[in-house]
Amino acid sequence: MHMHDCHCEPSQHDYFSQNLYTWCTNCGNYGIHAAVKRALVAEGVNPHQAVLCFDIGCNGNGSDKIEGNRFHGLHGRIIPFACGVSLANTKLKVMAFGGDGGTLGEGLNHLLHAIRGNYDMTFVLHNNLNYGLTQGQASPTTKLGMKMNSSPDGIVADQIQPMRLVLSLNPSFAARTFSGDVRHMTKTLQAAIKHPGFSFVEILQSCPTYNKATPHEWYQEHLFDVESLDNYDPSNITWAREVAEDLETKIATGVLYQRPDSPTALARLANRQAMTTELVDEVKNYSITELLKKFQ
Amino acid sequence: MPITSSFRTVVKIAGESGQGVNSVGEIVAKSLKESGYHQFGYREYPSLIKGGYSCYQIDIADRPIKSSSQYTNLLLCLSRVSVHAYLKTLAPQGQLVHSLPALSFSADERAFIEQNQIAVEYVDAAKLALAVGGKAIMANTVIIGILLQLYGLSEQVVGRVLKEEFANKPEMLAANLACLQAGHEYQLQTVKKPTLPTERDASLDNAYLLTGNHALALGAVSAGVRAYYAYPMTPASSILTYLSQWYHQTGMLVRQVDDEISVAQMAIGSMYVGTRALVGTSGGGFDLMTESVSLAAMTETPFVCILGQRPGPATGLPTWTATGDLNLAVYAGHGEFARLVVAASDVESCYTLVQHAFNYAEKYQTAVIVLTEKEIAESLYCVTSLPAAVPIERHLLPDEELEKITPAARYDTSSPSGVSPRWLPGSSPAVFDTNGDEHLADGSLTEESQPVKAMYDKRMRKQAALLAELPEPALFGDQQPDVVLVGWGSVKNAVLDALPELSAAFPEAKIGYLHYEYVYPVRTERLQQLHQAGAKLVLIENNYLGQLGGLITQHTAIQFPTKLLKYDGRPFFVEDVVAGMTPVLTAGRTK
Repeated sequence: MHMHDCHCEPSQHDYFSQNLYTWCTNCGNYGIHAAVKRALVAEGVNPHQAVLCFDIGCNGNGSDKIEGNRFHGLHGRIIPFACGVSLANTKLKVMAFGGDGGTLGEGLNHLLHAIRGNYDMTFVLHNNLNYGLTQGQASPTTKLGMKMNSSPDGIVADQIQPMRLVLSLNPSFAARTFSGDVRHMTKTLQAAIKHPGFSFVEILQSCPTYNKATPHEWYQEHLFDVESLDNYDPSNITWAREVAEDLETKIATGVLYQRPDSPTALARLANRQAMTTELVDEVKNYSITELLKKFQ
Repeated sequence: MPITSSFRTVVKIAGESGQGVNSVGEIVAKSLKESGYHQFGYREYPSLIKGGYSCYQIDIADRPIKSSSQYTNLLLCLSRVSVHAYLKTLAPQGQLVHSLPALSFSADERAFIEQNQIAVEYVDAAKLALAVGGKAIMANTVIIGILLQLYGLSEQVVGRVLKEEFANKPEMLAANLACLQAGHEYQLQTVKKPTLPTERDASLDNAYLLTGNHALALGAVSAGVRAYYAYPMTPASSILTYLSQWYHQTGMLVRQVDDEISVAQMAIGSMYVGTRALVGTSGGGFDLMTESVSLAAMTETPFVCILGQRPGPATGLPTWTATGDLNLAVYAGHGEFARLVVAASDVESCYTLVQHAFNYAEKYQTAVIVLTEKEIAESLYCVTSLPAAVPIERHLLPDEELEKITPAARYDTSSPSGVSPRWLPGSSPAVFDTNGDEHLADGSLTEESQPVKAMYDKRMRKQAALLAELPEPALFGDQQPDVVLVGWGSVKNAVLDALPELSAAFPEAKIGYLHYEYVYPVRTERLQQLHQAGAKLVLIENNYLGQLGGLITQHTAIQFPTKLLKYDGRPFFVEDVVAGMTPVLTAGRTK
C-alpha cells in the first residue's frame, strides 16, 4: 500500500487536538496524554505513523483529544485489536491504552496471550484502582476492604497485583511509572516504544474523584526508580519480581524487566521469514492452480 | 422409497471413531473418480476421538450429484455398534459385509434382514491383514480391497491412490498393498457385485474432490486474504488446518488465536490497517464475536466471518448439520446496522462467496457473514472445475487523493448510499478517529441530537444501497412453476437431485426451486412475482422455525402454508424431499 511520506520531524503540536478534554480536574490522564505526545515526538513518530488504540473508560474518552490514527474499541478488547494492527503493518507504531477494569477484568485473557505472543506494540495500563467512568465501582486492583460504589461494606475479593501477574509470564518488557511525573512517564514510554515486542507499561494513575485513599501526593511519597538501586539489572527477572512486589511502602518504577532475546510475534513465523512486504501490501488475487492439483 | 427414476447406488463404510473410516472413504472416493463415476461423499461421526460410530457414505451416480440417499445398498462395517446403528439404512436387497466374529442380531434386526432380503457376510479382515504381514488396523485396507472387487475398480488405480496416501509413511505401503490384494482376491460367498452406472465419464479423470471447507480456503487464497485467525470449532476447524498446511506456499499469516473474541478483534485490527483478514467459527464461537460485529459496523471497518453451522443450542450436536443460525447471523450484535449475510450451498458457492464477501465488506465497510453448514463443510464434492476467480475490488480512496483528503471526509454523511471514503492508516496525512462511540465526520465523539441522527442515517442507508445491488434468488427447475420450493444452503442439493424423481412421479407437475444465496438483506421481487402468478410456495429448511421463511414473511407478508423442516442433525436426503413433496403434488393433481 501507499505510505504517506513526509520527511518531517514531528512536533508536539502535530498531536494537538481541537477537541476539549472532558476529564475531571487533576485527572491523571492529562499528564499521560502529555507524556504520550512527548514520547512519540521524541521517537520521531508522526501522527500518521502512529496507531493509538483506546479501550473503554475515562482514558478512552480521550481518543479524540489527541491526533494520530486512533481507534476507540470495545471494553476489554483493545489488546487483540492492536495485535491485529501490529501484524498487518509493522511500519506503524502501535500503542494501546486500557484501564484496570477492562484489562484485568473484562479482558484479562487478552493481556496474557498478547504477552505470550510478543506482538510488537506498547500497552499502557491506566491503573487508577477503580472504574471511574461508571462512577467509582471496584476494579480487580481495588484494595480489599475498600468501600466503593456497589460495595458499601467493602471489597471482599483480593486484589490483582498487575506487575506480579505480568512478570509471572516472562514478559518481553515490563515497566511502571506514575501519572504525576510527566518526565518519568515520557522516558519510560520511549523505552517501551523502542522495544521490539510487547511492552507492558503500568501507569499508577491518580483518580481525584473516586480514589481518595492513594491520591497524587501519596504516590509521590512512596515511589522510587529502580535506576536508583545499585547495579539494578533489568534483564534479571528474579530481581524484577522482587522489587515489583511492594505496593505499600517503597513502590518501584522505571523499566523493571526487559528481555533482550524474545523475537516478536511476526519474527516467530517461519513462513513469513523471507517476506519483505507487509500484509497490507499483499492483497491481490492469488492463483489457486497449484493448490488445486492435490485434489485431482 | 429408495430412488428409482435415476441411477444411484450407495456404499457406506462404517466403524468407530479412530478406525480410519474417513481415510477409507477418501481412498474409495478417489478411486471411484479415477474410474469415471460421479459421486457425493457424506460423513457422519460422533464428537469423540475413539469409539461411538461413524460412517463415510458415497453415493455413486451416472450424472453429477451433490446429495445423499437415506438408503444404503452396500454396508461395510468394522465395528459392532456401527452394524446396529446402520443396518436399517439398507435398502431392500441390500448387502452387509462385516469383520466382526460372532456378530449377533436382535430379533427385530433378524426380521428386518429377512423381510428385506439382506445379504450378510462375515469377512475376517483383521486375520487376512495379519496373514499377509500387515497389522490388525489394516483391516481397513482389506475392506478397500473387497470394494475393489465388488465395484470392479482398477487395482492399479487404487494402488496409486494408496501410494499417494502413504507418501509420508513409505514403510507402511508394502503391507497395505498386500492387504489390498488380499481383499481384492477374497472369495465372497454371499455378497454379489452391485450394479454400477453403465456409462463412465472420462472427464472425471481431471475432476477435483473437494469439501466445502477446502473451497472456502481456496476462495480465501484467491481473494487475497493475508491473515486467517481462528479458534478451533467444528465444522469450521478444517479451514484453519488447510490454510496452515498451505501457508509456506501462500505466505498467508495463519494463526490459531486463544478465543473467538480475540479472533474477531484481531481480524478487525488487521482489516482496519488494510489487509484482508478472515475468521471462521461455528455458532458458539460466533456468539462470542457478536459485540465485535457491532463494533465493525459502528466503526465502518470491513469484517468477514465464516459461520459454519451445526445444531444448537449450546454445544448441541457438534459434528452434525443444521441451518439454525440464520437468525443469529441476521440479528447478531447490539444496535441497528447494515450487514450482509450470504449462504453457501456447495463447493462452487463456497469458493466464490468468500471472495464476493470481501468485495462487499470493503465496498460497504461493514460486516459480512458467510454461512455454511457441516453438510457443506465436510462433504466431498466431485467437480470438474471451480468458477473463475472473483476480481478483487477494494473501494479505497485513489492514491492521488490521499494527500488532499481531510479527516472529516472519512465519515462524511452526505452520500446517498451512506458509503464514505475509506483510506488506510499511514497512507495519508489526514488522520481520524475510528470511534466505537457515536461520532462526527472525523470520528470525534458526539452526543448531540442532530449529528447523531445524521451519522445513524448514513450507516443505515448502506443497507438499502446494498440490497439494491444484490442478485435475486436463482430459480431452478421449471421457469413457470406451479409449485416452488424456497430454500437456502445445502437443501438446494437434495432438492435438485430430487427433481427428476418428482418429475417422474408427477409428470404433469411444474416444479421450481428458488434458491437464496444472498440471504440478508432479503430480495423478494422474484418470489413475489411467482406468488402473484399463483405458484404454491413450499419452504424447505434444515431448522425448526423456517428462519428464511420468517424473514420473507416479515418483509412481504407472504406466508408459507407448507414447510419441509428437518432438525435432527441430518441433512435433507433426496428421499426426504420426495416424501415431503408427494402430498403437496398429489393434492395439486386432484385439483
